[in-house]
Amino acid sequence: MFQILIVDDEYINRCMLKEMLISAGYDDCIEAENGVQALEMAKEHTPDMVLLDVVMPGLSGLDVAPQLKKLSPGCYLPILFITALDDQASLVRCLDAGGDDFVPKPFDSVVLIAKIKAHERSRLMSLELVEKNESLFWYRQDVERNHRIVEHIFANAMAESETLDKHFSYYIQPETRFNGDVLLCEKSPVGGAYLFVGDFTGHGLASAIGAIPVAKAFSAMAKKGLSVEEIAAEINKILLEFLPADMFCVACIVEISPSGTRFTIWNGGMPRLVLRDALGNITNKIESRHMPLGILTVNEFERNVEYVEANEGDRLLIYTDGLMESSHPVHGVIGEEGVEKWFSERCLSSARGFVELANEYRQGNPANDDITIVMFRCEPFRVVNEPETSSMLLVPFRTEMVLTNSHLKHTNVADFIVQKLTNLEGLEAIRSEVFTVITELLNNAIEHGLLKLDSELKQSAEGFEEYYRLRAERLEQLTSGHVKICLKCEPCQRKLIISVFDSGDGYQLDVRPELPGDTYGRGLLLLEEFCESVKVEEGGRKTIVTLAF
Amino acid sequence: MTINTAVKNENCWEIRVGEKFDFSVVTDFREAYSDLPKSIKTIEVNLTDTLYMDSSALGMLLNMQKVLAGKPFRYVISNCRPPVARILEISRFNKKFDIV
Repeated sequence: MFQILIVDDEYINRCMLKEMLISAGYDDCIEAENGVQALEMAKEHTPDMVLLDVVMPGLSGLDVAPQLKKLSPGCYLPILFITALDDQASLVRCLDAGGDDFVPKPFDSVVLIAKIKAHERSRLMSLELVEKNESLFWYRQDVERNHRIVEHIFANAMAESETLDKHFSYYIQPETRFNGDVLLCEKSPVGGAYLFVGDFTGHGLASAIGAIPVAKAFSAMAKKGLSVEEIAAEINKILLEFLPADMFCVACIVEISPSGTRFTIWNGGMPRLVLRDALGNITNKIESRHMPLGILTVNEFERNVEYVEANEGDRLLIYTDGLMESSHPVHGVIGEEGVEKWFSERCLSSARGFVELANEYRQGNPANDDITIVMFRCEPFRVVNEPETSSMLLVPFRTEMVLTNSHLKHTNVADFIVQKLTNLEGLEAIRSEVFTVITELLNNAIEHGLLKLDSELKQSAEGFEEYYRLRAERLEQLTSGHVKICLKCEPCQRKLIISVFDSGDGYQLDVRPELPGDTYGRGLLLLEEFCESVKVEEGGRKTIVTLAF
Repeated sequence: MTINTAVKNENCWEIRVGEKFDFSVVTDFREAYSDLPKSIKTIEVNLTDTLYMDSSALGMLLNMQKVLAGKPFRYVISNCRPPVARILEISRFNKKFDIV
């Protein structure tokens, strides 16, 4: 209901005005006899409009008007002066005091109502604006809060990589608050590193969120030491399921050998990678051979990678297209050739160097896209031993399992043990060796101890196949016997002791390959090489080995 | 993935082994070279995906040479990861294979 406050010291004027308002449909009228009362009522009722007499005892209309306006900050409160004065100076004073219009005395109903209607429109518009501003304010607060949440998740997903900081010179420049470029680095279990450099279509929040599942999957696969092909195929699959059809990720995935001189590279849509020697000569360019990630179906996807050899001291440069799209006001974009020229002629050795050149080249124009630059100096990764931290987490333990014939019929017994063991810190690094050792021990116990197979059978090509055929057959028929495995871990001495006992006949120790071509007897050789010690007891039925980690 | 084969180029037959190269793939590995195209001169065993290997894999590799004996193939083992390379080195496989 539109409420009008009438302020006049004369009762008769108040009555006349009220009468006219009510007959025009403005039923909600309140009255004040003087300035003080007017202010009190305005505070209490927040009227939508004030009809204000100019000349009153005590506070005059000119004194009251500014105070009324102050009571309604941010929203238009129309004040219409009721006045018999018609000289120019008086009217100007009224407007200066904050008045919006005049209602001349004696009152004319038609003019009065027309003016009230005009100011009612303004008042309603102003109220609507206040409401919209308020909801906009809450909306902005909400967006801000959501951004902060995503930023937090994003920051956690893109956790800083120590390997990246230690071995790479890199630079990431987001064009907006969230970055559509992704730079991930993870050390590989064998002592090298994996790198993922990607660029999602678009930029800002929408493209940044695509990075979250990629980061998680990449880190998990890198820790397992999967091949670049497998990582590429898996991330493609994830993005295919995760991203809308018009979004994809241009990327390259690189595995660097522990020596720092051998690269396995999958490049899907990134600017070509460049390798240069210490003198600045470009020695190799690795072009994109594939479509970006998140487009091709699992069956269409091409996993093939390239292998690149480098010399110590060479530098490998990887960058997203934001850098080569750096644009000069006259000469246009710098392009791949331009970037390579910088790399070669200026012998740039830090990512920052490119950024400075690109800024200079753009002559003050802002970058149009996110820019990511990574540079690797070919040198061996320093082996960081962390025995203090990991031995605190690794508690000594001893575990024993007895595998009966029904367990042994499953081929994945070794997998199971390796999986359990390599979840422990410190053992992860030697999981390939642990697998080999456990498989050798188990196969000796099963094939010779329980199944009584003769290794010499493997001498000939036919015998080799016969051997494995017999293995399957005899295992299937096996109704008794067991293998006992005992694992003992001494983290302080960094030793893993494995013993395998079979309930059968054990095996002969003296079988050794005589010639390089002998197809049998190599197992023990591997055990002796991988283990600190190998002891055979109980007539070949029990083998105890010690592995250092 | 256990074992995949492909004609790498006109002369080269590629056998690509999966994550695990142990006796569980004896049959698959045997089949991987059972039906070679005539033009083939090189057999390449690609171990890029292989993380786990035991001595039965060594047996399988050598047995392949025995089965194909008499044919003048060049035998290559490629892209070994360090633990796998070490197994091949301990067993002196460089005498019978080109390890690249």
